[in-house]
Amino acid sequence: MNCEHCQESISAFLDNELDAIEASNIRTHLAVCAPCAKVCEDFAMILDFCQLEETADIAPPNSKALWCRINNLVETEIKEQAKPEEIKLGWFARFWQNSWQFSFTQVASALLGIALVSSLLTVVGIKNYSASSEMANHSTAPSLFDRALGKLGLIETPQQSREKRMHQQQLTVDYWRQRVETRRANWNPQVRDTFDRNLNEINQVIVEYDRILQENPQDNISGEMLDSALNEQVELLREFSEL
Amino acid sequence: MNLSNLSARVKTTIILLGVVFFFASAAEIQAQKRFSKSYPASKNVNLKLINRTGSITVEGWNKEEVRILADMETASTNIQPQNLSGTIYVNVVKDNQGRNDVGYVNFKINVPFSSSVNIETIMGNLSVNNIGGVLVRAHISSEGDITLTNIGAANVSAENVIGDIFYDGEIRGEGIYRFTSTRGNINLRIPANSSFNLVATAPSTRNISLGVFTNANLNFGDGRRVFGKIGEGNASLTVSNQRGSISFLKR
Repeated sequence: MNCEHCQESISAFLDNELDAIEASNIRTHLAVCAPCAKVCEDFAMILDFCQLEETADIAPPNSKALWCRINNLVETEIKEQAKPEEIKLGWFARFWQNSWQFSFTQVASALLGIALVSSLLTVVGIKNYSASSEMANHSTAPSLFDRALGKLGLIETPQQSREKRMHQQQLTVDYWRQRVETRRANWNPQVRDTFDRNLNEINQVIVEYDRILQENPQDNISGEMLDSALNEQVELLREFSEL
Repeated sequence: MNLSNLSARVKTTIILLGVVFFFASAAEIQAQKRFSKSYPASKNVNLKLINRTGSITVEGWNKEEVRILADMETASTNIQPQNLSGTIYVNVVKDNQGRNDVGYVNFKINVPFSSSVNIETIMGNLSVNNIGGVLVRAHISSEGDITLTNIGAANVSAENVIGDIFYDGEIRGEGIYRFTSTRGNINLRIPANSSFNLVATAPSTRNISLGVFTNANLNFGDGRRVFGKIGEGNASLTVSNQRGSISFLKR
């Protein structure tokens, strides 16, 4: 008997699964072969350990699943060893190494898109610059292009801008109005009358220009006058709140 | 009751009424208070005055001195002018913060001709006369008339809500002139040879009378705003009257 045959049969030998002749041959070989005797001894120890009652406590809860995972890990390692080693590349290198192939239509569409976007951005920039610098001294109706940009949300329409300003202003007015209400009881009748009269006057102006702007949102003069009246309203409230 | 008795009673009543009236008047006079103080000042002193209610009159004079006279409705009103490195500062609002018994205070102030004047009141008339310093500013938070006469300042600002504004003075080159009202009449009396950039807006009334500047090359638009350049100067003249008129008069 050689060592290979002996080691293959050790497990069956220890489980008493071999016939008497085979078992006798194994025993004879183990007596003269130290390496096989060592393997047999290791196997016997493992079997002894497994037969102990305590092994049940340390056994994994799901041995099948554990073996499955181990198996997968081993297979993965084998596959990776079989693969040629890849060099890890960064995002830009991967992008650069990609081979790009476009049709003429795709290239033309891309160029047209870039040209359109850059033109739009330029126009928006110029519009915003000129709007802030020019003196708004007469009514100007927005061009079709302006309206289109406004619809797309690329530029703020005068109406949107005014509504935003009015909302902000209203918050300020509410704050000062509350402060005025706390002080009002201490004023003499003459001061109360003056305050009411002036606030009413300013409110009338606000209502008037708001109405005009509802009809013609692009009326810059009315927009300017409305802003001025709103500021006066806050100023009036603020100063009377100190009395 | 005989006639002599009746006559005596009438006499007694009249005397008693007279006594009561005398003491009542005396009490009223006693309740009023006058504040007076003078400060030596440089020719180009700054005056900053913030009033609650009442009129303010500032007059330029040929003295290096600031004199402040104030008539107060209630004797308890507190006025504490401060002389802070070239600025005479009076703040009636701050000096009486939180008090409810402060009535009107009428100021009459004299300052050197070349002073700068910055006056504010919450309600009441403002008047500035004979001032040629750097700045003249008159601000009324609510109602009152503003009268600026014989002004030579390069920066002038007048603002009220309800009330008239009258300006009689120079338009200096590079100067900035601003007149703003919500309801009232704005009258500007300036030399016919003045040169400036004009923006005059009277959107409700469209009543903008240019007087001697009618023939200037101005843009009238739809009548709510007149703007353009008059002469070669770089002064800026902005007039805005929400619900009133604007008139230019020859000086």
